[in-house]
Amino acid sequence: MKITVSINLGGYSFNIDEDAYAELKRYLKNLELHFAGEESSSEILSDIESRMSELFRSKLTTYKQVINIDDVRQVESVMGTPEDISDNEGPSARDKFSSPGYHRMYRDTDHRVIGGVCAGIAAYWNTELWLVRVIFFVLAMMGVGILIYLILYIVLPEARTTAEKIAMKGNPVNIHNIKDSVKQEFDTVRKNMKL
Amino acid sequence: MDLENNKAQMRKGILEYCILSVLSRNSCYASDIIKELKEAEVIVVEGTLYPLLTRQKNAGLLSYRWEESQQGPPRKYYELTDEGRKYLIDLDKSWQELVESVNLIRTR
Repeated sequence: MKITVSINLGGYSFNIDEDAYAELKRYLKNLELHFAGEESSSEILSDIESRMSELFRSKLTTYKQVINIDDVRQVESVMGTPEDISDNEGPSARDKFSSPGYHRMYRDTDHRVIGGVCAGIAAYWNTELWLVRVIFFVLAMMGVGILIYLILYIVLPEARTTAEKIAMKGNPVNIHNIKDSVKQEFDTVRKNMKL
Repeated sequence: MDLENNKAQMRKGILEYCILSVLSRNSCYASDIIKELKEAEVIVVEGTLYPLLTRQKNAGLLSYRWEESQQGPPRKYYELTDEGRKYLIDLDKSWQELVESVNLIRTR
């Protein structure tokens, strides 16, 4: 028995195995990043999604109603990896789509206790999270910590997208980092589901 | 020399020309274009087509309209604009010149 997920791809609803969903999400995320520098990137992506939806539909019959990981892999090989696509566009394409080590502070709500301010600071300076928390606790005892925390909470945006989460740590945003980051996200989700 | 890379570069060069040529006959939706390009073996992975279509559209060479489909959501039908037709005539000319140049050298 397997858990399936219901998704909307190109205006069609599909039931898709959990592992297949993780793979599809990873693939689309990669593409999204690949076209990030492009004008009308969302249009390109939705065209690609429509085509994938069409290819998936051709794989379903009355007796096979769920998209599995093999279907996803097969459709991905038809569409091509971002690397395949950039190879067709010349050697410089990969560099073009990775922005150089963009580094800024966010609130890291994945590791938050209150609002993710401490976790964001720890990620930005690459220091131990407990150390930042202790400093804030001491500052709070002295009377200024809570105010500082509130101001930072208001000023710092939350790291929502994968690209922001990578920029929070100061790594260059490129396909490989996104891949690692998305994989980490899935591992966490998977772990949480098993618990 | 990397033959595969060389072939990929050549394909890349003529792909835009091929897309415009397919559309010069009649308006198509993306999957029809893919089919033709695959049959002619000028495209390897489908993902390459979509950014090109969007770029050509942004450059004013193509336009599209939404058309209802029997089998699902509406489809985008692409067609050449007047500018696209002019552009294609120029490309036809330079393709002819290229072929002639290569032939001249190959048969010397």
